[in-house]
Amino acid sequence: MTQGTRRILSAFLAAAVSFCILFPAAAPAARDIAAELRQERGRLLEMKEREEKTAQELTEALRKENRSKGRVGELQALLTRQRSLLSRIDRKVSALNERLERAEKDVRELEAAHGQARTDLQRAEVVAFAGQRAGAEDPWQLSARERERHFMRVYLAADAEGVARITRARERKEEELSGLERQVAVTERTMAREKKVGESLLSRQEEERRRLADIAREKKRKEKELKSLRAKIARMESVVSRVERQVKERERRARKAAGRGSASREPAEAPRRFASLSGGLSAPLAGKVVTRFGRQHDTTFDVTIENRGVEIEAPSGASVKSVGQGEVAFAGAVSGFGNVLIVQHGGGLFSVYGRLETFLVKQGEAVKRGTVVGRLPGSPSGKSVLYLELRAGGTAIDPTSAIPLDS
Amino acid sequence: MSEQTSLWWIDWRLSRLPLVRETIGRFLFFCLLGFALLSLLLSGGASRFLADRYAITAVLRADVPSAEAEGLARKVAALPPVRSAAYRDPEAAWKEFLRAYPGLDPLRGAGRNPMPGYIEIRIRPDRLTRADVDLVASALRSVPLVEQVLAGEEWLPRLLRADRLAFWAGWGIFSAFLAGFFLVGRLQERGRAVALAGDFAFLVERGVPTGRMVFFRAASAAVSGFLLAAAGTATGGGALFLFLRKFPFLEGGIGPPSDLLLPRTLAVAVLFSCGVALLSAAASLLGWRAARSGRK
Repeated sequence: MTQGTRRILSAFLAAAVSFCILFPAAAPAARDIAAELRQERGRLLEMKEREEKTAQELTEALRKENRSKGRVGELQALLTRQRSLLSRIDRKVSALNERLERAEKDVRELEAAHGQARTDLQRAEVVAFAGQRAGAEDPWQLSARERERHFMRVYLAADAEGVARITRARERKEEELSGLERQVAVTERTMAREKKVGESLLSRQEEERRRLADIAREKKRKEKELKSLRAKIARMESVVSRVERQVKERERRARKAAGRGSASREPAEAPRRFASLSGGLSAPLAGKVVTRFGRQHDTTFDVTIENRGVEIEAPSGASVKSVGQGEVAFAGAVSGFGNVLIVQHGGGLFSVYGRLETFLVKQGEAVKRGTVVGRLPGSPSGKSVLYLELRAGGTAIDPTSAIPLDS
Repeated sequence: MSEQTSLWWIDWRLSRLPLVRETIGRFLFFCLLGFALLSLLLSGGASRFLADRYAITAVLRADVPSAEAEGLARKVAALPPVRSAAYRDPEAAWKEFLRAYPGLDPLRGAGRNPMPGYIEIRIRPDRLTRADVDLVASALRSVPLVEQVLAGEEWLPRLLRADRLAFWAGWGIFSAFLAGFFLVGRLQERGRAVALAGDFAFLVERGVPTGRMVFFRAASAAVSGFLLAAAGTATGGGALFLFLRKFPFLEGGIGPPSDLLLPRTLAVAVLFSCGVALLSAAASLLGWRAARSGRK
């Protein structure tokens, strides 16, 4: 339960206590006010339930939003890595393509050179044949012919070697080209695969962003709803306060009529008023204060809220005792506080015990200081929390200022 | 008879005019025969002609420096059968190749010259034999700088056979002419012996021995034959000299004119003249005998 909820509940409880006190002694003219109070209390309870539900939904939305943001961040990081990888692959593909183009150009040039060399070789063979035929006409130049034939063989061998060299170079280049093409194909396949992964990541990120947007919209809607509810509760509290003032006015008139009137005491004197109770005050149970009174910062909603009481952590199933002498004014369930017991100590002083599991006293029963009025519920962790609120003249006071509590 | 009659030149005294005709004819014949003899001698038949066309080519390796190649050429030139050895660098080989195959010049405008350098070895005409060619070729093959030796192994036997045939043909014709001279000379001598038979009988009756008379006739025929042959050979040699000077291209087939003055040539000419003298004497004797026996 949120602190805001508790604040509202505290106000409601105060109003309810006032009502419970005033109702038995009220004149028939106050019946309308009581009815109005009951009606308002019902509406207030309903609104608080709705607020609690909305707050829970909002918390859930926030958790979802955080999770979604986390996922979006992770996806963003993955996408960045993916883009970097794609960029690297792209650069590699570009480099490979450049090499490919160069190799293709080389192959084309070598093919042209090969064709030219082969043509030259064929022409040389024709010339050699023609030359030999011409040389055959001079049968006496045998040595010269022999030498020329040898030179022609050398020439043709050199040409053939040139053709073979170009052929080999072309084959090497073609092999290199084939290797490059394979490499490019592999790299392109890798790039396509990585692109698909990237697209998948992008799609997941988009989906996550849409989900995040939905959550944000939901959160906004819930916040708006919460705000509206809080405004309604504030208005309700205002109504309850008005009722309280009316009750006080009646008390004042009654005291004046009884000649026992006295000036209203200031809220600052409330702790002393509690201390002056007959039999004194004592702690309701032994435990540690885990939620303090007054303005506190709520980290969940990042808002400052007003606590009207304190929460005391104690062992599960611990007995809860009355802090002072008085009469049980109310014992029942209140949304957000579970079973609530209100003890009226007289003089406008009340003590409120929330989150009880069972009541050990009944409404209207007189209690003394230290009387066990109820028990805390059990829990798997072995710890339970008691909500304790002290009210003096319709105003909540810090219980730690009136009762020695372990903080 | 106290005073003996000289029998030298008796024919000349008895039959002057026919002998003048004979002498002129023989001189002209010996001019031609001397010309032929010296030509054959200088040319060695077809040896000089063939030797001028035959060459051993030692193809060098591609990386042989010019200086080393030229040194090798000098060493090869010092071999006994070698007349000359000349180094041709790759550039010269390329040019020679392009002269033989002019159509290839534009085909290798940008390519490098693939031709190696080579040494061209010419064999002396008188050493153009299989043994000498093999000697030079095997000497070249043992040199590491030489990649290949082109010595015409395929056609050299045919070439040498042609050389031998030409040699024997030349000398055979020459010998036939010489034999012809002998036969004609014998007939002439017989004819003269028959014609002068009365005169010779008169001398015999007067106490001149027949043998002495025959001897002197033969001796005078030998002397005149020698002189005519020498004169004819000299004239033929002179004509050959002028001929070779006039037509220098014939030097390739016959030889240089200067070779005519070599002692070897002169000795052969003298030998030839002696041979002719002997033949003349023999023709005189045989002609006398044929006249006495009444044979033709």
